[in-house]
Amino acid sequence: MKNIINVAQLAKRFGTTDVLNGIDLTIQEGEVFGFIGHNGAGKSTFINMLTGIINKSSGSFEIIGTSDQQLDDVKAKIGVMPDISNLYDHMKGIQFLRYMGKLAGDTRTKQDYIALMKDIGLEGAEKKKIKAYSFGMKKKISIAQALLGNPSLIILDEPTSGLDPESAINIRKLIVDLQQQGKTILLTSHNLDEIDKISDRVGILSDGKVKKLGTPDELKNNTSSELSVAIRTNPTLTSQKLAELSANWDFNVQFVTTKKKYVVVNVPHDNDIAKLSKELIHSGFQLFELRMEQQSLEDVFINSK
Amino acid sequence: MDTGEPEEFRGGECIMVHILWREFTDSFKSIRSILIILFLTFISYQSASFFENNPGLVEEFFSTGGAESSIYTAAISLIVLMFGFLFVFAISHDIINKEIEMRTIRLLVTKIPRWQIVIGKFIGILLFWVVTILISYVILTVISGTWHFLDYLQTILFLFYAISFVLFISTIVLKSKLTMFLGIILGISLPIVGLVSVFSDKWYMIPFKYLLPYNYMENASFSMLILLIIGIAYLLISVVIMRRRDL
Repeated sequence: MKNIINVAQLAKRFGTTDVLNGIDLTIQEGEVFGFIGHNGAGKSTFINMLTGIINKSSGSFEIIGTSDQQLDDVKAKIGVMPDISNLYDHMKGIQFLRYMGKLAGDTRTKQDYIALMKDIGLEGAEKKKIKAYSFGMKKKISIAQALLGNPSLIILDEPTSGLDPESAINIRKLIVDLQQQGKTILLTSHNLDEIDKISDRVGILSDGKVKKLGTPDELKNNTSSELSVAIRTNPTLTSQKLAELSANWDFNVQFVTTKKKYVVVNVPHDNDIAKLSKELIHSGFQLFELRMEQQSLEDVFINSK
Repeated sequence: MDTGEPEEFRGGECIMVHILWREFTDSFKSIRSILIILFLTFISYQSASFFENNPGLVEEFFSTGGAESSIYTAAISLIVLMFGFLFVFAISHDIINKEIEMRTIRLLVTKIPRWQIVIGKFIGILLFWVVTILISYVILTVISGTWHFLDYLQTILFLFYAISFVLFISTIVLKSKLTMFLGIILGISLPIVGLVSVFSDKWYMIPFKYLLPYNYMENASFSMLILLIIGIAYLLISVVIMRRRDL
């Protein structure tokens, strides 16, 4: 499978701030690649450079076999869903899609556009101005315009954020459908569960660099050599109490997070789990449940910061 | 499917045409532009009717060596010379910077080259003025019975300059409220400075004499082509700035 995006030492500096600091990345044809990172990590900056919205400071990239110097030559093959605040609010929905379609070289008729609006769940909103659309409707029309002109690479910046669960599921289905049609998809999201479910590979961006890269399973398995344990006790164990108690223990316990009534901790070795349960009971806690916790992408993300 | 044709000619047509067409049609939709069209049409009709009803004035002007056509087009030419910048600023001061402010430019640049956005918008606005002035000249032609081609061309060349200048200002000044304010200041001051510079020998007026269009409007001659050259220079600088800018 050939690479559809090749990025080498790509960097972006705004004033004296390095937002991206030498990104190296390849994305293969036909894969769904998920990009995650905290706010300000540089996800949007990266996408904006790939799509020609902002200029690079240094480095290079190749997209659909064309160098960044000739990006104009492949724009018709790239569908981009930028932030929804970039829409022409004064236009009617159908008018907006037809205009974007013409710019993308789409040859649909007016009836085809009406059918497209129905397909994306905007039936009846064709003649409404976009400024009167709800947040979810704006998201949908923003995604629809990215698909005009039958692009082979689709770049979606947080396509499901702020959507109701049903709409988000529909968009995830759409992404899977697009992949089955042979399209390559690069998406960013704050929804780590979503990225985990639909991405073939994931990149975690932090401090202007790709800190981790691999399939969701690879990342979850390789994140730490420590064992994660979820514990449910009465009274509920707090991080403060754990720190107090563990100061006197002869093994290391690291608090990770709390999940509902559970406390998640990391321990270095198998036999530390037995020691942990013994110490908790010895300290007066009733131990209701103790189970091995599988790493989630969220854990990987938190550990990569 | 790769058709082998350049991407800017997708589907056998230049995609810049769609930017151009939208700019052209949108120009007719604003109240400001409708008022300007009505104003120019009214002035053309009234001035032509006045001279038609006063043939003695035309004969007197003709006998003193004035070109017959000029007396009919004098009113519209004078209005464009004095208020051309103001009118173009009123309609198009935010032609580039509004797209940047609203961030809709991000949608455009992901689909078409930046130079096509700038040139497409420019041609769209130019076409608007070509049509608007044409309406006035058609009225003049119907009343006077003569097609005043050179006067029309001269007016369009002046507007070519004015539109490229306004587009350049809209490219370098990113706030549309500021270009609206600048538009009022420049729309009033440029004709005054330009006309004074034509007749002034002061050293500080020399740049205005050669950079502003008024010096080249005295006669319908090849010197008018300098307007075209300066206008193209403004466009090229605007394209270079747009290509280098983070949007």
